[in-house]
Amino acid sequence: MAMRQTPLTCSGHTRPVVDLAFSGITPFGYFLISACKDGKPMLRQGDTGDWIGTFLGHKGAVWGATLNTDATKAATAAADFTAKVWDAVSGDEVLSLAHKHIVKSVNFTQDSNCLLTAGNDKLLRIYDLSQPEAPSQEIAGHSAAIKKALWCNNDKQILSAADDKTIRLWDRSSMQEVKMLTFETSVSSMEYMADGELLVITYGKTIAFYNALSLELIKTVEAPAPINSASLHPEKDFFVAGGEDFKLYKFDYSTKEELESYKGHFGPVHCVRFSPDGELYASGSEDGTLRLWQTAVGKTYGLWKCVLPGKSLFVSVYTFCLNKMVYCG
Amino acid sequence: MATPVSVLRLPKGPDPNSRGFDPNSPRFVALCRTSISTSAAEADAKELQREQRARSALRERFLRCLLTMTNKKVQFHMHEKVDVEATFGASDIDVLNFQVSDLHTPIGVQKEALIRCQDVISFTFDM
Repeated sequence: MAMRQTPLTCSGHTRPVVDLAFSGITPFGYFLISACKDGKPMLRQGDTGDWIGTFLGHKGAVWGATLNTDATKAATAAADFTAKVWDAVSGDEVLSLAHKHIVKSVNFTQDSNCLLTAGNDKLLRIYDLSQPEAPSQEIAGHSAAIKKALWCNNDKQILSAADDKTIRLWDRSSMQEVKMLTFETSVSSMEYMADGELLVITYGKTIAFYNALSLELIKTVEAPAPINSASLHPEKDFFVAGGEDFKLYKFDYSTKEELESYKGHFGPVHCVRFSPDGELYASGSEDGTLRLWQTAVGKTYGLWKCVLPGKSLFVSVYTFCLNKMVYCG
Repeated sequence: MATPVSVLRLPKGPDPNSRGFDPNSPRFVALCRTSISTSAAEADAKELQREQRARSALRERFLRCLLTMTNKKVQFHMHEKVDVEATFGASDIDVLNFQVSDLHTPIGVQKEALIRCQDVISFTFDM
C-alpha cells in the first residue's frame, strides 16, 4: 500500500524562518534550533518538533543559529549587530558579542570552545569562549558580505561563502587564504559534512558537491527551480533540496535522479537539514513554519505511526481531518 | 490512491506565557548547574529535605521582597558600575525584566522603563 508523506508543521514563529540547525545525538535525543526574522530563535526536540523554549534577547532579525554537538550551548547571529551564546538547557543568554554590522553566521568548534562568526562587515571572527573579554581574531579577504562560515578539517580550517561570489578555504593557524572557488552567481547555501569531508553548495538551480579539503568538484545536479538550501543524508544515499517554488525535492545522490517532490510550504523554502540520524529532515520557510519530513515515508518514528492494514480506514479519516487542520492553520 | 502517513499528534507549539526551558524536564534537572549546588547526586533523603526547605524559604523571601518593593524607591546596582534609582512596579514571571517608573539615569529621568534582570547585580530599598 503506497503511503503519502505527512509533514509535521511546527508553528510559533511569526516571520520567515531563515536558518535551522540540528545538534548531535545526546542522551536526551537530538535538538533543533531555528533562526527567524522575528528575532526569537526557538529550540525544539528534534524528532517530534515539540517546542522546548525561545531564546529571548535579540533586538533584530536572527539570521543564523547553531547548536553545539551535545546541545548544551546555542549561538545566534542577528541584525542587531550581535552574535549571542546561550545556555541551551536553561535558555539564558551567556554572552553577547558586539560586531560592527549585521551578523549572518555562527559556528562552534567540536569542543565548543571557539565560536566562528561572519556577516556583513566582511570579516571572519574567531572568539575564544573561555576568554570572552579578549578581542576576537579577525580574518579579512572577502570583498562582500559573508553569508556562511564553517569550521572544517577537524577545526583546522575555515570555509566561507560570501556575496562576492566566492567560497574560500582558510587555514586557522596562519589565518591565510588557502584556496578559492569562484562562481557566476552568488552561492545561496553551504553545508559541510565532516564524515567524508564533503561540501554541499547551492546556487541558481544547481546543487553542487565538492571535496571540502581540495575544493575539487565531485558532481552537480540540476533542480527544476532555483534552490536556496540542500542537505545530504548522513549515509550519502540521497539529498534533499528546497527553494523558490515552495517544494521539497528528494534526489538519489549516486544516480542524480529526482525521486520525489513534496508540496506543503506556503512560501519559498530557505533552509533544509537532515537530522543527525537521517530519519527525518526539517525545512524552514518564508511562511514562518518549520516542517519535518520523513526520510522513509510510512515508518514509525517520532510522531509518525505505521498503521497496520485493517485499522487503516479509521486512521485515514482521522489523519485526513488532521491534514485539513494543518492546511488551514 | 496513496494513504497519508498517520500521526500521533501535532508538534507542541510555544507556551504563550513563558519562554519555556522547563526546569522540571529530565534534561534540565540533569544538566543545569544552579548557583546553590544540590546534593541530589547523593540522594540522602534527610539532607535533600533540609535543602528543599532552605530553597523554599529563600524563594518565598525573594517573592515577598518583590511584593514589598512595589511602588517603593529602589537602588539597582548593575554591571559596568552603573547605579540607578527607580520606583519599582512589577517583575515578569520569569524574572527577566523589572517594570519601573521614574528611572534616574546619568542622562536623565525615564518616566517608564524596563530593567533587564540579567544586568542587575543587586538592589536595595528601605522597607
